[in-house]
Amino acid sequence: MVIRRLVGRWQGVVLSLIGLTATIWLGLTGQLALYIHPRYFVFTVITVIMAVIAGVLALAAFAFAPTAQDGHGHEHGDEPGSRWGWLWPVGSVLTIVAAVVALLILPPSTLTTATVAQRDLNGSASALTLKAPALPGKGDYSAFTVRDWASLLRSGAGQDFFADKTATVTGFISADKTDPNVFFVTRFVVTCCAVDAQPIGVPVYHPGWQNEFKTDSWVTVTSSFRANPNAASREAIVLIPDSIKPTTQPAQPYVY
Amino acid sequence: MTLPAVDKREQPEHEHGSPSRAFRSKSAAGFIAGLALVALFALVRVLAPSTPENFGLPNAARDFATLSISVVVESLPFVFLGIVLSIAVQVWLPEGMLLRRLPRSPVPRRLVLSVLGMLLPVCECGNVPLARGLVVKGLTVAESMTFLFAAPILNPVTIVTTAQAFGWDNGILVSRVLGGFFIANLVGWIYSRHPRPQDLLTARFQETCNIADHHDGAAGRVRRSVQMFSQETRAMMPALFIGAGMAGLIQVAVSREVLVALGSNPVWSVLALMLLAFVVAICSNVDAFFILSFGATFMPGGIVAFLVFGPMIDVKMLALMRTTFTAKTLLQLSLLVALCAAVLGLAVNYGH
Repeated sequence: MVIRRLVGRWQGVVLSLIGLTATIWLGLTGQLALYIHPRYFVFTVITVIMAVIAGVLALAAFAFAPTAQDGHGHEHGDEPGSRWGWLWPVGSVLTIVAAVVALLILPPSTLTTATVAQRDLNGSASALTLKAPALPGKGDYSAFTVRDWASLLRSGAGQDFFADKTATVTGFISADKTDPNVFFVTRFVVTCCAVDAQPIGVPVYHPGWQNEFKTDSWVTVTSSFRANPNAASREAIVLIPDSIKPTTQPAQPYVY
Repeated sequence: MTLPAVDKREQPEHEHGSPSRAFRSKSAAGFIAGLALVALFALVRVLAPSTPENFGLPNAARDFATLSISVVVESLPFVFLGIVLSIAVQVWLPEGMLLRRLPRSPVPRRLVLSVLGMLLPVCECGNVPLARGLVVKGLTVAESMTFLFAAPILNPVTIVTTAQAFGWDNGILVSRVLGGFFIANLVGWIYSRHPRPQDLLTARFQETCNIADHHDGAAGRVRRSVQMFSQETRAMMPALFIGAGMAGLIQVAVSREVLVALGSNPVWSVLALMLLAFVVAICSNVDAFFILSFGATFMPGGIVAFLVFGPMIDVKMLALMRTTFTAKTLLQLSLLVALCAAVLGLAVNYGH
């Protein structure tokens, strides 16, 4: 019963402190962008203000632990008269354990190919809308990202357009569901937070890539565009690289 | 407002003489215990291994964690904002200042309440603690529902982001604002006719309402603010974590391609997008950008249904609202709001 009372009284404050510690740590180590769009300004401001206020209140809650005479009536941690009352403290402890594991122990991580499979690759319209000024006047496509190339490919520009162009793209490998010779150099486009991430990618034709690379590993591919040798494939225009360089996950794994 | 107040906490206790010293050393001990806990959390976080490979988790499990954490990180500041506003309304506003100014007769009263969200740019997760505070202060249950459902839509940030995302295209913005306003008032009107509104609330929350009737001086207020913070976080935090976990789990389990595939049919687009809104549990301030990324695939009615239904009902909101309303009430509310949003979406689709 001591545990039940302790948990009932401190669960909310402890969970708040876990959430605050994790958010502040993510912010300080620059990893908040794994979960939230970095330019989501309102969010940052509210977070900082609320972290201060909530932190002060949570610590004050410890200082103001209810004394014997004013603890009355506050300690009904479970629904009165419920046969399953014992489940309540167990569930509370589990929530705290889950929060500690998820927010304090697990290393922050990006989304993986499991989510690419859940969400239509290159299926999102606005993630692939090319901003007009992004198109360079003459020839300099070196700054083009995965997103820019994927947008161009989607816009239906013909083979003539791509004939003389060379792309350098970095992303993680995800398999093409229909063509075993093709993989995608993939990135997630994030508008607000990881929940809305949309996968986009540029197709790379490289038979036997499965033997050299694992899905989810990061690579940089430099190559020109060619017609896909497999005419039946869904991707008509692909990169056919001579070499694929393995690389590490960039500091900003998502594109915006 | 809160910062300086904390330092004043011990002043009135001096009147009691010796107990104040015991109180003070006890609160110092409590404070140190709190700091120690924070230090422990920070230590665990810093010392935890930093590469995902160490854990050998399958991709789906990693993405489940990432998505759930994303929901928590995104909602947390807004939940705190809601709790702080709720404390301000309950403890610091002069008695009845907010509620006394509202019109007395029920219909205009609810109309005014539904635009109260204009003053409080909180998204839906913050509105739950605020609505709880308003009920404790004497708002009826039906009125709290009107506020709860209208505020996240009739909210300056939401309106601006929706306008940025869609402009005046297809009447999406207008349908969202007016539709949300109408549904919130309809729900309020229906529940205002409930013979025993107390039955709509959970036993635990009724208890909170009953013990909230203290009247004490300024110093007691600081103490009460802190108590209320620990009380409200106790209700909200587990709900937020559980809701986020469910949102993450469903997203890993349900293929989004299926939903997107249904997007171009006038009827299915509405239903599919309402389901999507229920599942992604994204904050109303930014959901317009999210759905914009599907803009070309879906019909405008579906988008309107998404933008109206999502802020009112989704997995995270149900978990948060369960702290206050009974399961039966929430089921009724979900069906009612879903029906209204579907009708609105279909009307937009066939009206064009």
